[in-house]
Amino acid sequence: MNNAGQFRDPFRELIEEYALGSLDAEERAAVGAHLASGCAECTKALEEARLLVSQLAYLAPEAAPLDMLRGRLLETVRAEAAAAKSHTSTISESAIPLWMWGAVAAVLFFALYNAYEAHSLRETIRKTQEALTAQMELQQESARRLAWARREALILTDPRSMKIAMSAGTKGMPELQATWHHSMGIVVSGQKLPMPSGNRTLQLWLIPKAPGARPMPSMTLRPDADGTFDLLVANPPDSPSGTKALAITEEPAGGSPQPTTTPIWVGAVAGK
Amino acid sequence: MFLAVFTPSESNEVSPDAALVNRLLQRDVSAFEDLYDRHSRIVYTLVLRILQQASTAEEVVQDVFLHLWRNAAQYDGSRGPFLPWLLTLARNRALDQLRLKSERQRRREEQAEELPPVVAIPDFEGSLDEKRRAKRVRELVALLDPKQKRAIELAYFEGLSHSEIANALQEPLGTVKGWIRNGLLRLKEGLQATS
Repeated sequence: MNNAGQFRDPFRELIEEYALGSLDAEERAAVGAHLASGCAECTKALEEARLLVSQLAYLAPEAAPLDMLRGRLLETVRAEAAAAKSHTSTISESAIPLWMWGAVAAVLFFALYNAYEAHSLRETIRKTQEALTAQMELQQESARRLAWARREALILTDPRSMKIAMSAGTKGMPELQATWHHSMGIVVSGQKLPMPSGNRTLQLWLIPKAPGARPMPSMTLRPDADGTFDLLVANPPDSPSGTKALAITEEPAGGSPQPTTTPIWVGAVAGK
Repeated sequence: MFLAVFTPSESNEVSPDAALVNRLLQRDVSAFEDLYDRHSRIVYTLVLRILQQASTAEEVVQDVFLHLWRNAAQYDGSRGPFLPWLLTLARNRALDQLRLKSERQRRREEQAEELPPVVAIPDFEGSLDEKRRAKRVRELVALLDPKQKRAIELAYFEGLSHSEIANALQEPLGTVKGWIRNGLLRLKEGLQATS
């Protein structure tokens, strides 16, 4: 043995038996995995080994099949060849007639039309769904506004509600009217109010009676384009009995936890 | 190299078998006839040796040649000569059939009446090389120890593994492995020396 033999691939010497199929399952799997890994030497050796193994066929006692087998095979083969030839010639020799092209075109047109119709239908359904959603949102908003208006009406018309006039400290500024219902909330309304500058807003404050207590922040609202101011506080943070006055200041957008400006409107809450 | 024994002398030369297989792709029935006449005997010889039953062997041979007719493109001439490929196909089909039936013992008992008499193969053109090679293979294998030869035959014709052969021959597994490995190498060396 030469020196190179010392470094021989251990799988190489199993290749002939792998080709013979005599390796037990574990060795066979190992050699198979090795071949699958791409070992060029063993792959080439396997080709040679398969040729070698095939020579073992000559060890069998010579025999010849019956002529009948040849006849049966040729009958089958000729029939298949004729069928293949017939199929090929049918395709190649018979040109596709014009009417068939017309039919193909019609089918294509129909398919395209169907695709267009399907797309249009999908688009219509999508738009209808969007309109329906918008309509439902509108209805919900209308219902909300209606409920709000009813609540305001009840607050404003209930004889148990307390009327609070909120006068402005600045001359020329319109007066606001606050109406406080003990269970339904406070409505503050006014007309022709000037628009706060920039993004600033108007914020309502409840001034507690308790000495030293800080003003309690309430809701914010900007007048509309006509200067109409209509604020509903559904859940006032305190009851009228504990409140000394209502005040409105101008605050940054979103409101403030504590007043940052002098009140524009103030209205005293009548004590009971 | 060992491959040289089977391949044409010039690398660009297309072997007669490869040319016939190419014609099969064109559904050439005469090419099929030629291939059948060239190789049906050795294919049948092998399959019959494995299955030991003439009727089943003919069914398998028919299956092998129909497979060739219908799937000629599976043979890749660049990867080796045609006949070993065909014999490998036939052996695999026959061993599959053998395993499927799983009637080895009963078959052995019926062997005497099932085996047809050996048929003398008439000479035909181009068979000389193959006959010479067959003779050489038999001579080389005859030089092996009888048990060694038997071990190789059990592996090749009956599809047994090393362990199954060791069990069948009541010999240690290592001994059986050595016999088979050594026997195949001696056959290879003998064929190389012949070429």
